[in-house]
Amino acid sequence: MHIPDGILPVPVTAAGYAATAAVTWYSLRKINQQENPRREIPKASLLTAAFFVVSWIHIPVPPASVHLVLNGLLGAMLGYFAFPAILIGLFFQAVMFQHGGLTTLGVNAIIMGLPALVAYYIFRLRKSQNKESSRKTAVFGFLAGAVAIGMSVVMFVVILLTFLPADLDVGAERVAIYALAIAHLPIIAIEGVITSLLAVFLQRVRPELLERV
Amino acid sequence: MKLALDEYAHLDSPFHRWDPRYKLVGFLALIFAFSFVRDLYMLLAMVVVTVTIYIVSKLPVSFMLSRLRYPSFFLLALVLILPFIAGQTIVMSIGPLDVHQEGLHSVLLIATRFLSILTIGLILFGTAPFLTTIKAMRALGLPAILTDMVLLSFRYLQEIGGDLRKMQTAMSLRGFQRHRFSLRGLRILAWLGGSILVRSYERSESVYKAMILRGYGHAPHPRGEFQTHSRDIITLGVFLFIAALFVAGDILCRSGSAVLLQ
Repeated sequence: MHIPDGILPVPVTAAGYAATAAVTWYSLRKINQQENPRREIPKASLLTAAFFVVSWIHIPVPPASVHLVLNGLLGAMLGYFAFPAILIGLFFQAVMFQHGGLTTLGVNAIIMGLPALVAYYIFRLRKSQNKESSRKTAVFGFLAGAVAIGMSVVMFVVILLTFLPADLDVGAERVAIYALAIAHLPIIAIEGVITSLLAVFLQRVRPELLERV
Repeated sequence: MKLALDEYAHLDSPFHRWDPRYKLVGFLALIFAFSFVRDLYMLLAMVVVTVTIYIVSKLPVSFMLSRLRYPSFFLLALVLILPFIAGQTIVMSIGPLDVHQEGLHSVLLIATRFLSILTIGLILFGTAPFLTTIKAMRALGLPAILTDMVLLSFRYLQEIGGDLRKMQTAMSLRGFQRHRFSLRGLRILAWLGGSILVRSYERSESVYKAMILRGYGHAPHPRGEFQTHSRDIITLGVFLFIAALFVAGDILCRSGSAVLLQ
């Protein structure tokens, strides 16, 4: 779900880089306002690497399999470190696996990173009323995971089809957007369920991993 | 699994010797100039420039081919879909499907730009050790937090990947069938991911302590790591000139064909 090089026009990739620079600057500003930002860097870095590795786990969806994205859980766990973490993950993807691209790094970071920040706020809501319980963690975990990947799918499909350098019929474009979005529904459900299961697991095993939110 | 691209960083070519800071600027300028191109003649020039740079870099052809696994799926999807759904001018029919000229043009445009940019990216990261390229990014103004995160996550990627492989092997040995879909299987896979996250988090605590003991956050950043020679600046000038030529050439070619059409 990453847009490769060679598809998007320069103004769009430049806008993607500008937006990514702005969000990264804001995230780093928030990180620097923390009590001891340096203490968090090794945690955020190793979790960035861990999320990258966890995305190699394939979930069987007969007749094929899908890999996890988990940008919702990443947002929920890393907070303002989530956007830099995703930017680094996408950079590794582009450089090591030629998946995504160097010119589209900014656009792809927005597609994956903004929903992660939204997931951070959604998951935080579980603490807004009463005390938290496993059920609440499961429900808000599902919402954070499903909403984040859902937002990413919509942004990816709309940007790809709007700026594809091909003369597509408006009707065909709309049908393609709906078809691609519907094809991703099982992935959205699986991401939600896995995020929910993972959030409950982490709450039981190492609750401080979810403390940030 | 080979993660790094720098297995041929020890070779000797003008790009291996080029100051990594100037190389980053020069190659990125060329990459963005390539993504600007829309004219077919300029695409041809792009291929010539890309092949020339690849030959000069002395990187083996097998290196390029081994990196085309993921991209080949994308290219295949492009060739199979776009000619049939994009455009109006029919050039041929295959059964009930019509192949359109505009669709073929789009495929050619996207595939050429994609492969050229990918090749230039491979040369950029394949002609210097990965850590040197990251240090060059830092020297060019990449924020310190981002640089530290890139270096640390890169350092532990291989090890955490090894953890995952070991745990998957252990699961298979205990009878877990990873290709069968079930809710129980989903839960087990979630726990696998959770265990990786918990292990990494625990490891990060000892990493942080070790870093503090070695003066993390207090030692000054080393200076003078890169040395600029006049040939670095001249090569950058050549790359910027070529990039500008592509942008100007594309604008001229497209305005020329627009005038011809009128």
